[in-house]
Amino acid sequence: MGTPRRLAARLLEALVHLAPAECRDWAMAMLRELDFIEGEWAAFFWAMGSAAVILRHAATAPWAWLKRQTKEGIGMNNTGKKVVGVSIGAFSALMLAGCAMATLRIAGILFPGLELEHSGWFDWLGVLAIPETIFIVATVLLWRKRGPVAAGILATVLVMALHIAVHFAIR
Amino acid sequence: MKLRLSPQTLLVIDAFLDQAEEWKYGYDLSRVTGLKSGTLYPILMRMAERKLLETQWETGDPGRPPRHMYRFTPEGLRFARARAGSPIAGGLGQVALGLERA
Repeated sequence: MGTPRRLAARLLEALVHLAPAECRDWAMAMLRELDFIEGEWAAFFWAMGSAAVILRHAATAPWAWLKRQTKEGIGMNNTGKKVVGVSIGAFSALMLAGCAMATLRIAGILFPGLELEHSGWFDWLGVLAIPETIFIVATVLLWRKRGPVAAGILATVLVMALHIAVHFAIR
Repeated sequence: MKLRLSPQTLLVIDAFLDQAEEWKYGYDLSRVTGLKSGTLYPILMRMAERKLLETQWETGDPGRPPRHMYRFTPEGLRFARARAGSPIAGGLGQVALGLERA
């Protein structure tokens, strides 16, 4: 067995152990096929493609599960689906707000000459204007088709707005 | 039945329709369709998830590692045959990928 094939086998063996339970059989299936592939490099590229499939599946599995639950409602009643929808909305909104703030902070570090940290509009833009505008647009767009998700976003908007109002009132 | 019928998926369906009753192996499907493992397996996984394919581990000679095998379920066969009659099926997948048989 040459080096490329040995590397391919090692990679797939490792992934069989690391793969989520629902795709472990598939990972094992791809590993077993290695013995039948003619050519060392063909085996190596087979393993690389297989590894990409397993890693992609592992990365998207939680999202796919949530999507299945909300779309098809497998094993979940109406209330459960709404709770999942609201949670997705709230989680997405918080993630987006975090990303917006982080982006502006990084911009402040990368471009110190702009003195973003000391400008009043910096906080206003990063914390309030950009995220809140996106949330309101998203809520309006999603309201009819994905009501619970829109409600989750709206709830986050209100909590954030309240937080900011309290912050400025205290200051 | 929701299955995105990309040219690659149509190629896989074509490959399964050839001697549909027989079990097929992943690498053989890859050679027949010209698809790499990174393209082929997500299609197989989706088809199995939608109950269009049944899967089984080969119970071969002792001492030899088993292989995963695939074939259409009755529902999958009906689905594939229904699509085979449609104008988008069959040849289009091969034409789109430049694999049309001479």
